[in-house]
Amino acid sequence: MPMKGRFPIRRTLQYLSQGDVVFKSSVKVMTVNYNTAGQLSEGARKFVFFNIPQIQYKNPWVQIMLFKNMTPSPFLRFYLDNGEQVLVDVEDKTNKEITEHIKKILGKSKETLEKEERERKKLSHPATFGPKRYHLRECMCEIEGQVPCPAFVPLPKEMRGKYKAAMKTE
Amino acid sequence: MSVPRGAVHAKWIVGRVIGTKMQKTAKVRVTRLVLDPYLLKFFNKRKTYFAHDPLQQCVVGDIVLLKALPERRSKHVKHELAEIVFKVGKVIDPITGRPCAGTRFLENLSDSENLTEADTTYLSEKLQELKVCSTDK
Repeated sequence: MPMKGRFPIRRTLQYLSQGDVVFKSSVKVMTVNYNTAGQLSEGARKFVFFNIPQIQYKNPWVQIMLFKNMTPSPFLRFYLDNGEQVLVDVEDKTNKEITEHIKKILGKSKETLEKEERERKKLSHPATFGPKRYHLRECMCEIEGQVPCPAFVPLPKEMRGKYKAAMKTE
Repeated sequence: MSVPRGAVHAKWIVGRVIGTKMQKTAKVRVTRLVLDPYLLKFFNKRKTYFAHDPLQQCVVGDIVLLKALPERRSKHVKHELAEIVFKVGKVIDPITGRPCAGTRFLENLSDSENLTEADTTYLSEKLQELKVCSTDK
């Protein structure tokens, strides 16, 4: 049973997380004006259809507004925290060119993203055990080569507490 | 600890004016894209904000940019009008600077300068025919 819709791959987590445009923290609002007809807006229409979900997924705190058929020419407008506005003309550009352009002007660079990733990794220690939310593994029994979980494979007699206690009382 | 601006989370927002019945205050509807967790599709979620508009220059239907005030002005008003992005009926295309409506520009619409003599006489004749005479009974 296939997924519903025209390009349902846009609605998968893998596709959404593949977006590589992460805006700098000063970008607050993004406005896209495009037209539903006309060859000049074709790239903008494809951008809205394919790339806006990826961008919004990666930047949940940026407000994105879409306006259709307000002006003859398609454009993007970004509102930054210091009051500055960035106008990007996207007439006659493909959606790939548009994403590359905004990644270059307002996106975090790859080094910044890697540095943030490393900072986040430093907070959690990989060698500890606990709930899945905070640690990698929950119990030593999950690791290959260690004693398997007694819930699935009974422990040998010598390791069991009742045998050890019986040996001690003897 | 200093709070430089915004006792509120949203510092700059863009929305559409839905009401101006309050004095010096505009009711603005802001839509954000929110991901539905099951369908994995983005839908518009609306929220209304009240913005201080001292000159009462907003009309219902304008697209406005709001800026968060440093402290709350009243119980509900936490933003003020920064600028009107698109005025309803008088949209200006930011790339060319010309007034437009929909997908066409509004300048140079009337071609009365390009009409010839024959056209003007023909048109004035037609207008004479259309004139309604009240004396005819």
